[in-house]
Amino acid sequence: MWTVSDETLVAGLAAGDRDAAAAFVQRFERRVFGLARTIVIDDRAAEDIAQEAFVRAWKHAGAFDPRRGSVVGWLLTITRNLAIDAVRVRVPVAIDPASLLGFDVESRERSPGEHAELSDDRDRLRAALAQLPEEQSRAVVLAGLLGYTAREVGEIEDIPLGTAKTRIRTALLRLRAALVSESGQT
Amino acid sequence: MNISALSCAEARELAPELALGILSGAERAEVLLHVNGCARCQAYVAELTEAADVIPQLAPEAEPPAGFEARVLRRLDEGERRTRRRWIGAVAAVAAAAMIVSITVVRVVESGDSSSKPVAANTTQAEKPVPVPMELTSAPLPAGWAYVYDGHAVAVSVSYGMTPGGYAVQVKSPDGRAENIGTMTVSDNHGSWTGRSSRPITAGSTISLVDATGAAVCHGTVPTAL
Repeated sequence: MWTVSDETLVAGLAAGDRDAAAAFVQRFERRVFGLARTIVIDDRAAEDIAQEAFVRAWKHAGAFDPRRGSVVGWLLTITRNLAIDAVRVRVPVAIDPASLLGFDVESRERSPGEHAELSDDRDRLRAALAQLPEEQSRAVVLAGLLGYTAREVGEIEDIPLGTAKTRIRTALLRLRAALVSESGQT
Repeated sequence: MNISALSCAEARELAPELALGILSGAERAEVLLHVNGCARCQAYVAELTEAADVIPQLAPEAEPPAGFEARVLRRLDEGERRTRRRWIGAVAAVAAAAMIVSITVVRVVESGDSSSKPVAANTTQAEKPVPVPMELTSAPLPAGWAYVYDGHAVAVSVSYGMTPGGYAVQVKSPDGRAENIGTMTVSDNHGSWTGRSSRPITAGSTISLVDATGAAVCHGTVPTAL
């Protein structure tokens, strides 16, 4: 198995190293495909998007700047934008973020003190999301994961636009605060 | 110079939606216009974007269909052949633009006295284009590349995240003076342009593509001395 860092794989990808490209795809294909499928639902469309995401990452690997964020964050942002573009015209549907994100009861019951042990951004964010009022976590997942606009969030949740905007804003600010404090950068 | 209609408070109100990538084109342009000229709001948006970028990581993982990896690698192999041709073209275009200038200089000098010939010879020496990664302003994602040659010749090629339309190619000196040096068209996510800046492009100069609202949609800073 490859044990090199994500950043090293991206450097190999930028240099045209085929082994690095294969290892890069193997390392992230489940996350890229999983995200695409979460947004577009359809498996076939999700594969097209996942393929395109890897092609884009390969094309732009030389411009990846590790100071600006993680490799997985970069790759999944590319994937998310492609998937949202693919489903630009759609009917907003209600979702349950808890089931979508696979929250378990245990994670909702964790006390804030236990979060420091969580290993990465994903765990920290999931824990922070579980601490939010449910309507806020739903709003920020609809917007940040599925790409629904504030207006669409308002339609889905049957709330005024202003309320949808407030929920999205409050949730993102709280997630940001949780990420900063968890990583000790207060 | 563009004066943003939004106040800091109004821009910050919309900043979370900008960070999440869910603003409409017009609102996005308005906020970007403000953020581009306001370092504090820019830092605020960057912080929110950091949190927003983690959200897609929350999606459940899923096994792609059999043969996925092989299909991706095949596309990379095909893309590599095409891209090499495209970049060779872009670099050649910048080199050609520089060569035209050199030839012009030689002609001007030749029409003068012969003692100037060493200067003309000097301008034709081969120099390596300096690559400048271009990044989208709305998110830390690559948009393409610019190449700068001999401190004046510029080639820009973008292939990601750009809305179709016309863009001004703008060069901003480190002292903040901005100059539009041409216009380029983006269609089907691709656009390229070659031309020259009358003022010298130096380390710290910024090359931007500016949309019709005056917002810099992507930008890159020249990293090293030319």
